[in-house]
Amino acid sequence: MVPSASGNETNIKLPFSFIFVSMIALMASQILLLFQGDFLIVGQFRVPGIWSAAHLFILGWALMIAMGAMYQLVPVAFLTPIWNEKFGFIQFGVTAIGTFAFAHFLFHDPQNALIPGIITLIGILMFLFQMFMTLRKQAKPNILTLYVGTALVCLLLTIGLGITMLYSMKSGAAADQYFAIFKSHLLLGTAGWFTMLIFGFSYKMVPMFSLSHGYSMKPSKFVYPFYAGGLLVAIISFFIDSNIALTVGLLLQLIGFSIFIYHISIILKKRVKKKLDRSFTFALIAILSGGLIHLAAFITAVFGVFHKAVGPLLMMYLFFWIAFSIIGYLYKIVPFLWWTAKYSKEIGKKDVPALKDMVNDRASTPVFACLVIGIIGVALSLFIGSEALFISGQLIFTIACFLLCIAIAKVVTK
Amino acid sequence: MSSALKEKIIEELELVIDPELGIDVVNLGLIYEVNINEENDVHIVMTMTSMGCPMAGQIVGGVKSAIVDNITEISKVDVDIVWSPPWTKDRMSRYAQLALGIHR
Repeated sequence: MVPSASGNETNIKLPFSFIFVSMIALMASQILLLFQGDFLIVGQFRVPGIWSAAHLFILGWALMIAMGAMYQLVPVAFLTPIWNEKFGFIQFGVTAIGTFAFAHFLFHDPQNALIPGIITLIGILMFLFQMFMTLRKQAKPNILTLYVGTALVCLLLTIGLGITMLYSMKSGAAADQYFAIFKSHLLLGTAGWFTMLIFGFSYKMVPMFSLSHGYSMKPSKFVYPFYAGGLLVAIISFFIDSNIALTVGLLLQLIGFSIFIYHISIILKKRVKKKLDRSFTFALIAILSGGLIHLAAFITAVFGVFHKAVGPLLMMYLFFWIAFSIIGYLYKIVPFLWWTAKYSKEIGKKDVPALKDMVNDRASTPVFACLVIGIIGVALSLFIGSEALFISGQLIFTIACFLLCIAIAKVVTK
Repeated sequence: MSSALKEKIIEELELVIDPELGIDVVNLGLIYEVNINEENDVHIVMTMTSMGCPMAGQIVGGVKSAIVDNITEISKVDVDIVWSPPWTKDRMSRYAQLALGIHR
């Protein structure tokens, strides 16, 4: 028997703060991108507006939302309270101020973006410190700890490589390794940090939202070495400039991801809940998309055209795998947070709503449909060089993001 | 007396839903034991639908409130969560199974 209540729950204001600020960053990044079409269609990515939008999207939205979700999920998934909540609120303030200031300076005054960049960096390092201190306290580390712990290490390495790149640009040191460092930075930031994190938490959330029982966790022990090994081999390939090593690295990642998909399908076969929520189904579709993108990456490497395909593949990876997973799970996480804040003291005293009453799950279908149409429109516009198509696609995507923000904001009115 | 009180407790526990599923803990078959001693102190043995359920704390709080707030004879409730025997879909009532789309 275990004590009645877990007592691990985080102060709900902490994850909520991250999630709400992240939605502002999402809207800001997409509106900003809307006006960058003339640069994007001619392949000019290194301009202030795009730097600013990209950092707002990755750091302001995806990273902030991942931080907020971790503040909520780590205590319940690892049965360990957050090491220091007060430190968490300070970390939130530092990261939010740093990220928005960084995006502002990248846009208006890139030469002076270093200080806000350092503030953002401090915020991320504070988060990493918080999480390492929390996971250190876990009584019985498990396979999920390995995934989430590796994701955090990848985030740390991503930051370390980012700083190395800045230093290299300023001092000229390691100039011949600059592109290898840049590629490793991108790989670890996406396939390292986000993918490992989504893998880890999917193992918790998929059974929870599908009410699955009696499934084996054995395949997860094979996913990890293949995927992590693939990351390592791919990074080595960047530094030794070997296409063969890169192909092997991408193959190992593909095998790891495929086992993950197979494992999730095994878990879902054991589910009690026959009709899955739509938003959760989109998170599952995102898993399949991730697998297909890994397959495409491997095939392009085999035919020696990976370097040409990597841009669109990375974009699809960011949206169809990472962003869709986050959005799919967000439809479950936010109602949970608000329900906890508003109704946890009412339960047992009077009728309280269920989580599905807190958010319009059906309305998630047009949101996801518009997101997909928008992304395809933007990708196509970049391919054929049509500014009109870019504006249309980006506008549809921005409207979908706005609808998502509305759906999330409406939860707090329930 | 104890049997009537037990029935009353079960009735009140039907107010406590698992927020994720929208079904109460009794129909979900989460309540394993309801024990009442001579002083009318209640000891509930129950489980959750999944280990590490994020709603566990709230559901346990709801179980305590539903009993203490609504049944005047009872002032003390202890709740223990157990994982053995594990919860299965067969523990659900027909109503819960139908609500979740499972047909016997």
